[in-house]
Amino acid sequence: MDEKKRQAQALAARVVFVIVVLCIWEYVAKSGLMGEKSELIFPSLESIGSAFIRNFVEGYAGISLWAYIGNSMRLLLEGLLIGILLAFLLSGLSMISRVFYDICNLVISVFDLLPGVALLPVVIIIFGVKPGVIVFLVVHAVLWPMARNVLDGFLAVPRIYIEGGMNIGLNNLSLLFGVYLPAATSYIVSGLKVGWARAWRGLISAEMIFGVASCPGIGLFINQMRTNMNNAEMYATLVVIIIIGLIVQYGVLSPIEKCTVKKWGMSR
Amino acid sequence: MTKNENCILEVKNVSKIFDVGTEQEKGVLHDVSLELERSEFLCVLGPSGCGKTTLLRCIAGFEDYEGSVLVNGAERRKPGTDRIMVFQDFNQLFPWKTVEKNIQYPLKIQGIRDKAELKRRTEEALAMVKLSGQEKYYPYQLSGGMKQRVAIAKALALKPKIILMDEPFAALDAMTRNELQSELLRISMEEKCTVIFITHNIQEAIVLGTRIIVLAEGGKIVVDEKNAIPRPVTPASEGYGATWERLHRALYQ
Repeated sequence: MDEKKRQAQALAARVVFVIVVLCIWEYVAKSGLMGEKSELIFPSLESIGSAFIRNFVEGYAGISLWAYIGNSMRLLLEGLLIGILLAFLLSGLSMISRVFYDICNLVISVFDLLPGVALLPVVIIIFGVKPGVIVFLVVHAVLWPMARNVLDGFLAVPRIYIEGGMNIGLNNLSLLFGVYLPAATSYIVSGLKVGWARAWRGLISAEMIFGVASCPGIGLFINQMRTNMNNAEMYATLVVIIIIGLIVQYGVLSPIEKCTVKKWGMSR
Repeated sequence: MTKNENCILEVKNVSKIFDVGTEQEKGVLHDVSLELERSEFLCVLGPSGCGKTTLLRCIAGFEDYEGSVLVNGAERRKPGTDRIMVFQDFNQLFPWKTVEKNIQYPLKIQGIRDKAELKRRTEEALAMVKLSGQEKYYPYQLSGGMKQRVAIAKALALKPKIILMDEPFAALDAMTRNELQSELLRISMEEKCTVIFITHNIQEAIVLGTRIIVLAEGGKIVVDEKNAIPRPVTPASEGYGATWERLHRALYQ
């Protein structure tokens, strides 16, 4: 009962906060507080709203925003999948070989510090301007934080689980899947969170810097809106980006947490 | 092979030195030998740091050591399901599995796939530790005593040749501890399982053990005797006081 009350309170506080922010926004937009540029900097909520709809109905260059979103999500998913698999592969191998672990640690430390967009020129020289470059950057964004987290998770597995696992006949691969992976789940989930956020940002930055005509994405869309001074559309696209982020957070990541670490009492 | 055909476990000249070749080099076990008979309940007493746990971990195969450990005459170096360990730590159950799955998982690894058989063995084991009906709980929902019961049930379900217990009740409150002692005593008498039980509680050793040994520094066996007091043992049993005195003196000499 108390928990429900607290949740209701949290929800109410958030709703009130959002309404207040929107009211201030609308006031600034309508009152012309920022001078003659007011309309550009703070387009009114109605114009953002209608731009939101226009984005999906008319879109840009005759293509609806849906198509841009679809393209982005496809590249993102591809990159995420490859990145996550590679992260597990690297951390798994690191647990088996000490030499591999040492090298892997160095590689992770080095590449984790390199922003994806800084690599962009090099990657374009190597691959050319293709959707593959974006996938590459997504992989780069997700792989290193994810590998770091999974590895830390493996190293933090209590010895008693490992010994318990060995005692009941697990070894090498079966120990990895039977004990290390489930025991490191909370680390893996937090790696997913960081990895997903980095990938999403990396994707949009890459698309804004260079759009691939054969596969135009949401970053390209927002950049075109900027170029054409369609500021209301630009804000509306930002809203879309936020909404997608929230959907992934509450529709994918939270449920994963709920039916693993929360259910097992490994996290509150 | 062995002189005594009732012998299930042989520990032959086991020595264990930690941090070999470093400044912290520390010899814990020196040339320890021991034989264990089928259905014996061996209680190992000893002061902290005497090597009781190390000896048990060597038998379980968790440590490298010199010498040899033989189960039914065959050498064992690695952990295996013929020697199942019950730890002192309450957190030895896998938190991501329910009570039921914690018990069934090792059975599945042993190749038991039949659902009905798995269910039957789980129920049987849980009934033995008086936890029937608690199958669906996750470990974090159980008390310390209940977790230890599940750990014992898990060991029993596997029907190992030897159960190794490393002070499983040491972190429990006195009441739960007494309760679990009598449960374990009943189970060991009914199931005729072979147990090595580490403790530094003299009362526990006398109540549970059919044989008691006392280790001194370096794993030297200073007392090795059959527990002649008829079970169930209470402090009022004949000979309890004298045995307690004798063990106490050996422990604190």
